[in-house]
Amino acid sequence: MSASTQPFRRDDGGLIDRNRPLSFRFDDRAYQGFDGDTLASALLANGIRLVGRSFKYHRPRGILSAGAEEPNALVELRSGARREPNTRATVTELFEGLEALSQNRWPSLAFDLLSVNSLLGPALQAGFYYKTFMWPASFWEKLYEPLIRRAAGLGRAAGLEDPDHYEKAFAFCDVLVIGGGPAGIAAALAAGRSGARVILCDEDGRFGGRLLAERREIDGQPAAVWLSAALAELASLPDVTIMPRSTVFGVYDHGVYGVVERVSDHLAVPPPHQPRQRSWRITARRAVLAAGAIERPIVFAGNDTPGVMLAGAVRSYLNRFGVLPGREAVVFTAGDDGWTTARDLAAAGVRVAAVVDPRSGIDPALTGLAGRIGARIITGAVAAAAGGRALRAVTVREASGREESIACDLLAVSNGWNPTLHLTSHQNTRPVWDEAIHAFVPGTMPVGLSVAGSAAGRFSLAEALADGARLGREAAADIGFDSAAEPATPITDPEGVALSPVWRVKGGKGKAFVDFQNDVTDADIELAAREGFKPVEHLKRYTTLGMATDQGKTSNIAGLAIMAEQTGQTIPQTGTTIFRPPYTPVAIGALAGHHRGRDFRPTRMSPTHSWSQRQGAVFIEAGAWMRAQYYPRPGETDWLTSVNREVLAVRNGVGLCDVSTLGKIDIQGADAADFLERVYCNGFKALQVGKARYGLMLREDGFVMDDGTTSRLGETHFLMTTTTANAGKVMQHLEFCHQVLWPRLDVRMVSVSEHWAQAAIAGPKARAVLQGVVDAEHDISNEAFPYLAARAVTVGGGIPARLFRISFSGELAYELAVPAGYGEAMMDAVMAAGSAHGITPYGTEALGVMRIEKGHVAGNELSGQTTARDLGLGKMMSSKKDYLGRLMARREALVEAERPCLIGFRPVDPAQRLRAGAHFIGIGKPATMQHDEGYMTSVAYSPVLGHWIGLGLLKNGPQRIGERIRAVDPVREGDVEIEICSPVFVDPEGTRLHG
Amino acid sequence: MRIACPHCGPRDVQEFSYLGDAKPQRPDGMDATEAAMADYVHQRDNPAGSHRELWYHGAGCHAWLVVTRDTRTHAIAAVETMAQARAGAPA
Amino acid sequence: MGEIGTTWTARGAWSGIVAPGVFSASGAGVNVQLREGLGIASLIASREQEPMLGRALESRLGLSLPTGPSAVSSASHTLVWAGAGQWLLVAASRAGVAEDCAGLAGLAAVALQSDGRAVLTLSGTMARKTLAKGCMVDLHPRAFPVGMTALTSIAYIGVQLWRSEDGPDGAVYQIMVPRSMAGSFWSWLCASGMEFGLVVATGQD
Repeated sequence: MSASTQPFRRDDGGLIDRNRPLSFRFDDRAYQGFDGDTLASALLANGIRLVGRSFKYHRPRGILSAGAEEPNALVELRSGARREPNTRATVTELFEGLEALSQNRWPSLAFDLLSVNSLLGPALQAGFYYKTFMWPASFWEKLYEPLIRRAAGLGRAAGLEDPDHYEKAFAFCDVLVIGGGPAGIAAALAAGRSGARVILCDEDGRFGGRLLAERREIDGQPAAVWLSAALAELASLPDVTIMPRSTVFGVYDHGVYGVVERVSDHLAVPPPHQPRQRSWRITARRAVLAAGAIERPIVFAGNDTPGVMLAGAVRSYLNRFGVLPGREAVVFTAGDDGWTTARDLAAAGVRVAAVVDPRSGIDPALTGLAGRIGARIITGAVAAAAGGRALRAVTVREASGREESIACDLLAVSNGWNPTLHLTSHQNTRPVWDEAIHAFVPGTMPVGLSVAGSAAGRFSLAEALADGARLGREAAADIGFDSAAEPATPITDPEGVALSPVWRVKGGKGKAFVDFQNDVTDADIELAAREGFKPVEHLKRYTTLGMATDQGKTSNIAGLAIMAEQTGQTIPQTGTTIFRPPYTPVAIGALAGHHRGRDFRPTRMSPTHSWSQRQGAVFIEAGAWMRAQYYPRPGETDWLTSVNREVLAVRNGVGLCDVSTLGKIDIQGADAADFLERVYCNGFKALQVGKARYGLMLREDGFVMDDGTTSRLGETHFLMTTTTANAGKVMQHLEFCHQVLWPRLDVRMVSVSEHWAQAAIAGPKARAVLQGVVDAEHDISNEAFPYLAARAVTVGGGIPARLFRISFSGELAYELAVPAGYGEAMMDAVMAAGSAHGITPYGTEALGVMRIEKGHVAGNELSGQTTARDLGLGKMMSSKKDYLGRLMARREALVEAERPCLIGFRPVDPAQRLRAGAHFIGIGKPATMQHDEGYMTSVAYSPVLGHWIGLGLLKNGPQRIGERIRAVDPVREGDVEIEICSPVFVDPEGTRLHG
Repeated sequence: MRIACPHCGPRDVQEFSYLGDAKPQRPDGMDATEAAMADYVHQRDNPAGSHRELWYHGAGCHAWLVVTRDTRTHAIAAVETMAQARAGAPA
Repeated sequence: MGEIGTTWTARGAWSGIVAPGVFSASGAGVNVQLREGLGIASLIASREQEPMLGRALESRLGLSLPTGPSAVSSASHTLVWAGAGQWLLVAASRAGVAEDCAGLAGLAAVALQSDGRAVLTLSGTMARKTLAKGCMVDLHPRAFPVGMTALTSIAYIGVQLWRSEDGPDGAVYQIMVPRSMAGSFWSWLCASGMEFGLVVATGQD
């Protein structure tokens, strides 16, 4: 394939495969690139310079860099549900069929109406949000915000469910090497040779780092020779793992690193069963950071014009991608490094009109080079770039002040490099200023992390290779992996690193940008200084410097330098920026991994779940559990009809309900009874073997924690039940009580919740049904198996089971437990035995109605804010023993007479509906906090009574039976007159229970 | 964060839950005073530095542990079982 | 007395969740064996009981009680450490474990768990890579040798995991999860192993 469709493609060279052309679309026009391109390099190869519009001023923007730091070339990548905004074109690997749209332009990229914002510049300067939109508050929502959202902002999210899947994964290693450039590869080799488990990560799809972009020699040969040998050796080491397209985005305590692996981002669609991305948590005993460095722009008027590019990026495009970023270049450099760009441009056939360098005393080897390539050497600076949508010329100002305009379509800017030390500050270490290299370098490192090469401010290739080898070796040796003799450090060709940075060039016409992505100019920083926002943290928040998606990778230092100049301080006196995770943006999907939708968290299924499904149950989430809520029958169109039928079936006949989800804790030991005495507020020592008792557990602060029945299965053997919601919490609590509070008690406990399926059989005919289920040798007559009996029985001819005569509904009721595998068989057996009695399955909704009818408390009342006394259970609190919560429950505030206490309510007009959450307000009083007397905790429609009923907490409630009050529910516009009544609505004498 | 459970070995912090200061001792028994109990329930030191605190290895072996952690750096100096912690505070 | 023709058939923990078959279009990197019908009991001994329990198990099953996170096996039984002073006794048959436990009265707090756990065996060349997508424990052979066990969580589900004798494809992992979460566990396992190909079978190993 000829490169003719790509006018800026070099004929040869680079790491692209000219035999593998790839078609792609940008802003709905078709183009072609090659395998090995990024979107940015492919756009440049096609002569596309204008890639997007800026955030605030809608300025035309192009491609500044060739890496993760890119602030300008942000696109919406892919389409439909896969559309991803703010994707950096510089790190987007080209694939066949790629689609990208420029962002933040309307109606088109070339003709953007909102670039009028640029003319409104003064209105949009730093702090404009604070100053302009202060009042009136209502204008925010209706006027300012939609306006700003239209005018400013970046890409659009897809707004559709992401069709791809994501994964999490965990890895462990002895040495983690972050960065696959020369330093990282040398470190991984040194550590790997020692036998240590090594993981080497790089954000790029290809290892080599800057070596890929430079024309360098190692040991007298092209660097590529060294590189391929090193990568081959790494691949041969069994305990070395190489992770391409993997960004280490965060450093966490104790050697934990967050990594996102872009498994399929370089493909149009993930291959079958492959995730789009995978987020890793890597635990490493030691780590070597070899993340390289990021080149710094210079602030001057028009420095955001498409065609102004970092000098190192220019080399990347020339050498790695075989692309000419322009045809007529000027190089503006404050150090030796920019001269290399001039050399490489010339070598690629680009005319270098001038090299502009403000320094005097430049190495004659460099100035000699300029002569050879026919470039003028101008001692001075670039004061302005002009051209709008594409660079046309730069204004060069000599030291004398003389200015001239030089035509060019590319300006390569070189102002030295900042070590990529972001990860070193994630553990709160502040970088320190190194005057020798005019950059921040890592401060004191956390244990286990060392920094090699450019990331440590040691910018030469020789230093990178030497550092990497030494630190890789040391990291491994530090944890017991010793290598054989140290191999010789490779010899590299000479390079110059002299630098005298220029932070900004004043006096040019037009805006000079410090932070490209957030459109922060030098004038904004001067304004912040004038208005007193001088400390770096204030500067940042006032101007939004460094707060865009690039987190100021190319802007922070220039911002500090300009502030330093304003305040007459040095850069280190002005401050530094602490970087926080993530290093580059991470998709939430990658962090969630598998856990979204129905896998958001584990779902727990009762052992009778498929039985309930067969019965047509409607399920409801109860914590992690799926529970049968009700069982609609054909023809029943609303839930209340079904629930009413279920309630009446139980009250008049018999019903069957799954209660397997209750927590069940097996407690054994010589001191088990004593232990229960201490964790429950009521007594358990006197409980007979074979009997169950309702227990109430308090927290140490005196509030109710949980309730349930506990049965004594043997002298030293108890079975505790907990509420479904608190099963885990109670287990943890009991372990605390045993291990921390009373280790001397002989008590051992284990959860047996999962082993048992349990069902409630309730209603006047419950015994008759059970007699058809329990094996005949077990006498369950009222005399032999009275209320609160709890014993082992058998079912189905010898299957071990447990039977408890306990009731939540207030009816004659039992709970039957069988091993979970027999859960469905039990339900079938009970249904079969009950068919003659009209047995009806009922769900949690009917269960809830019946407990409210009986005035039993449940989750709504056990809110963590109620005491035993509040719930009318004060008499349960023993005065004869010590137990958790005993003393604190006596606190003045918890026993004051006015405290809201549990009581019942019914609407004065029986046709009216009650709502849980409604507040109690006296009749004729305004509905204000001042008149609030409590609230409704639970409501139900009682089919037995034919009207709504409620439970609630009311000041002096029990003393006010018969009084009328209002239930006010402003959210749902409810205001119902209600009568205070006993919380026990059905069978207050309890005769049904004992029937 | 990683916590080295004395039973299970080093594990991710996600397996543990935090309770708080390990120092307060419950005033047990019928003789305990309300004042002592109020202290036990509510009064906590909040040191910048070494802190002995209770963690529960709930997603692991269910052991309650005493972790000596520097609240400024999260550096963990010791992780003990309750039995070890009772036998004597670490150096 | 079971009447009106009700048959009391036990339902396996994996029943209705996963059946034998091949999941994925290509490859067979992960072998899953669903293990139904095992007998499982938790044994908890006080410090005083521990030596006696150890002797009893030694003489009856020929297994010595692990004092740290490891699992020991005979042809018919496995004893897995399950926390300080706690073990799981895993027997090849459900009936077997009830018998074993009857003899341990007074030596430990015994609670049957046979129906409370869903158990599977994971092997194959990609078993470790699959587990790495949820297991927060280092399973590298140097860190997790044969016979080691871990109580941990995978995909927010509590698991007891141990490494039994190596098979033809290397490491073999036994994994036990709460029965109620078997469905969610399978959902995770399937999503994680699909890229390598999962082959699911039932039966004993």
